[in-house]
Amino acid sequence: MPVAEEQISEMLRNQVDPREFDAPEFQQNPFPLYQRLRDHHPLYHDRFHNRWVVTRYWDVDAVFQSSEAYTRGIYEEDGPYEFGSRHVFGPNILEYGVGDRHRWLRNVIAGQFVGQKLQDFLPVIDMIALELIERIQVGKEVELVSQFSSQFPIRVISNMLGLPRSDEDRFVGWYQALIAGLGFGGVHLARGIAARNEMWEYLDPLIAERAEQPGEDLLSRIISAELDGQRMSVEEIKGFVALLLAAGGDTTDKAISNMWYHMMYTRPDQFDAVRQDPELWSNVFTEMMRFDPVVHTQMRRATKEIPMYDQVIPKGAHVLIYLGAGNRDERVFKSPDVFDIHRDDLHMGRENRSGRYKDGKPGHLGFGMGQHFCMGYAMARQEAVIACSHLSTALRNPRPKFAEHAGITSPSIDSGGFRSPTELWIQFDA
Amino acid sequence: MKVRVDFKRCEKAGECYYNHPRAFKRNENGYPIVAVHDVSDEDLLLEVREAIEVCPTQAISLTD
Repeated sequence: MPVAEEQISEMLRNQVDPREFDAPEFQQNPFPLYQRLRDHHPLYHDRFHNRWVVTRYWDVDAVFQSSEAYTRGIYEEDGPYEFGSRHVFGPNILEYGVGDRHRWLRNVIAGQFVGQKLQDFLPVIDMIALELIERIQVGKEVELVSQFSSQFPIRVISNMLGLPRSDEDRFVGWYQALIAGLGFGGVHLARGIAARNEMWEYLDPLIAERAEQPGEDLLSRIISAELDGQRMSVEEIKGFVALLLAAGGDTTDKAISNMWYHMMYTRPDQFDAVRQDPELWSNVFTEMMRFDPVVHTQMRRATKEIPMYDQVIPKGAHVLIYLGAGNRDERVFKSPDVFDIHRDDLHMGRENRSGRYKDGKPGHLGFGMGQHFCMGYAMARQEAVIACSHLSTALRNPRPKFAEHAGITSPSIDSGGFRSPTELWIQFDA
Repeated sequence: MKVRVDFKRCEKAGECYYNHPRAFKRNENGYPIVAVHDVSDEDLLLEVREAIEVCPTQAISLTD
């Protein structure tokens, strides 16, 4: 009998209450719960939210890699759901999830953010970073989130789309409303949809113009793309633009803020080396994407019954993948809770969709993997590293304005929101 | 048209076989296998061209 009681008290110590996922403590610092899940519930059946939760590195990898066992699709392509009718962006690649239409939409633009196309675009990325830094340099301090991060990637992507530079400020405003409408519903969703409609009205004449006279820009490419002789509907084109503004803007925006946050507050002792050798920003990017990436979760549905550990995930069940937890798996990374840009057990270079590298090291999970690996992976890295290098070179002796910082608090992980500091004040010498 | 993969350049990124599974397959080490070596089908040719575009190490080529 005493043995059974010991077992029960051990179970009590390590149990997970599914309501912990909704607690503010978890949103602020999810890592202790991640660890309990990895150690004691590697496949956790969350009966409260009706989902199965995966947290260990190689399990996260396996779910991402097995696209025949797990699907991203929510609605049937030929079912009654009208794609885009309940989404702040309108019909878009993410909403289609899987299938031929998804693949086609993806391939229309996938080649635009990698390889030579990306190389050709680097001067524009440079130019936009330097313009914004020039505005900052007139003072002695900067609130990095509002004055730089939240403006930089959106200006880059609107440039790629070939939107008039004089209207960039309007796009920044629309974009901020769209992002707020993504995660929180209610009044934020209403404002997001209002901003989207305003933007759509703005785009109408531009789309008509480019359909007549296509240029080299991304918007023209999207308009002119054909599948079986058919072009996208105007709604799909606009959905595409909204998605690119948000997906291409928000994530990179928050990556830049996170990188600076970690250099200012988590590892100021490693910042000197980075300032002296700006190429190390590439390591800061990689380690940030492991330590506390912008995106922590992805959702899949099981397409069949899947035995895992001593349980079986039923067909159709929702599977929540915590890539933010896999990244801290002590089975894979030494001292996983230490932020270290010189880590020798993490693949530091450019990421791969396959997650398999010639150096034999595991990569971070921050971009996902497999079929639905982040399409903008190469561009996000380039943009973030270029922006941070220019900033650390241009600003003399950058340092935190305040000794204390609330940390990476915004917004909540499970709302579909992305993680970053809400503000980041940095002082520098004139 | 003949499809070739230069395995010295290939870094197993997986862009080809994930985006264009009709043209490329994945082997167990993460390297691509060319599914159809001699391509004449227009749709498949388009897929190979797109794979060439997204390959981050320019390891794929198409020759007469």
